[in-house]
Amino acid sequence: MDGFPFLIGQHPLIQKIQVLIKKVSSTDATVLVMGESGTGKELVARAIHALSTRGDRPFIPVNCGAIPAELLESEIFGHERGAFTGAIGARAGMFQLANGGTIFLDEVGEMSPPLQVKLLRVLQDREIRPVGADRTMKVDVRVIAATNKDLQHEVDRNAFREDLFYRLQVIPIIMPPLRERRSDIPLLVEHFLEKHNRKKPERTVQITEEAMVHLWEYDWPGNVRELENLLERMVILSEDAAIRVETLPSNIRSFISEKRIPKPSLTASGLDLNSAVEEFENRLIEEALRRTKGNKQAAARLLGLKRTTLVAKLRRRKAVPGTVQPSQNYLL
Amino acid sequence: MAMDENGYRTGDTRMDVTNAGRVLVVDDDKHAVEILYRLLQKEGFEVLRAQSGKEALATVAAENVDVILLDVMMPEMDGFAVCEALRAAERTREIPIILLTAKDDMETRVLGMKLGVSEFLTKPINKRELFTRIRAQLHQRGLEHGIVSLVDRVD
Repeated sequence: MDGFPFLIGQHPLIQKIQVLIKKVSSTDATVLVMGESGTGKELVARAIHALSTRGDRPFIPVNCGAIPAELLESEIFGHERGAFTGAIGARAGMFQLANGGTIFLDEVGEMSPPLQVKLLRVLQDREIRPVGADRTMKVDVRVIAATNKDLQHEVDRNAFREDLFYRLQVIPIIMPPLRERRSDIPLLVEHFLEKHNRKKPERTVQITEEAMVHLWEYDWPGNVRELENLLERMVILSEDAAIRVETLPSNIRSFISEKRIPKPSLTASGLDLNSAVEEFENRLIEEALRRTKGNKQAAARLLGLKRTTLVAKLRRRKAVPGTVQPSQNYLL
Repeated sequence: MAMDENGYRTGDTRMDVTNAGRVLVVDDDKHAVEILYRLLQKEGFEVLRAQSGKEALATVAAENVDVILLDVMMPEMDGFAVCEALRAAERTREIPIILLTAKDDMETRVLGMKLGVSEFLTKPINKRELFTRIRAQLHQRGLEHGIVSLVDRVD
């Protein structure tokens, strides 16, 4: 753990989440962290634990989605000797291991309905019953759960118990996807570059402003984790210590232009090829004129046209900068 | 769903869309402002208008605004200057700014990125993209209000 702040970012939402984390860490309240994968849910859980009075006690993460359902109960609550075939000795579960500390139940939405009942009981009575045991034992554990599912939706379709949902989300924390806090991308990029550059002290990989813009505009379906993975790879693979637009993976590099130029689609009434081509041509001409600040000679050169050809096209289409004939999808 | 005095849903943990919030449209082109105004209103947003950087700052000082749709190229005070002024003042520091840019305009993007804008929206504007990006910013604002009231409740 790198110390405070636990979350990198100056976005107002991240700042407010930091405040909430601090406040919540002084309580024993159950917390439910929601958000897409890669948004930093475990980081939030670790921060709450580290800042709490339990900070020097164990933090036990359990990925409920990664453990086979039939084993999850004994993993979480432990089992007695001979509780089931293969249970040779008694074994402590995660709740016992976390005693005095915090248990982090990741992907809690994956829990089977019978296990949900048992978790509910733990939250209500603060005691567990190991598999095969005939008596319960008291545990002092703070529970932090996380999910990338919309749990309310799971409740609505009866896949998740409503009473457990409310017990878990005493304090709900929603981590925003990276694409909804783009302003933090430069900060995160610098942070991860520094972190991974440290492993290769003989040279420092840097990023150009233009490459940064491409990272800024990419939608990051894998969120902060995807960004870190990419930068780690780029630091290792970089040949000349610079991350430039050309060295970015093509899916990220092409994102700006692909996103911006909607693919024409055949509608029921068909596609008017002439007007679609015309629209495309108009936009290229407009872009060339914009880049050359209206200099037709230079714009023609950019487009690989003779000046007279460009002038003729302009006259025909009246495509002066900023007044390209809008298609139906476009407003301005 | 319960609402607080500002019309924000409280205790709402769903990740659904929202039109709750005020959008300020800033462009020196009167025609552009009118089109955006009508379109956004028809879509259910509450919309305010400004035709210059100065007017925009005056509006933001007098009214609560949740997201600003800001054109870059304006005479006198351009979009960048408006961004700087908004980011410099405590009251307006956190208002999301969606900057209207030309496609592939790298210079504007680099500057906008440095000034802390929230999104770029490329002209010509695509309706669906416009609504989606505004809603995303309003959603974040709603979550921020939710956290603030939650922090107040935690003891």
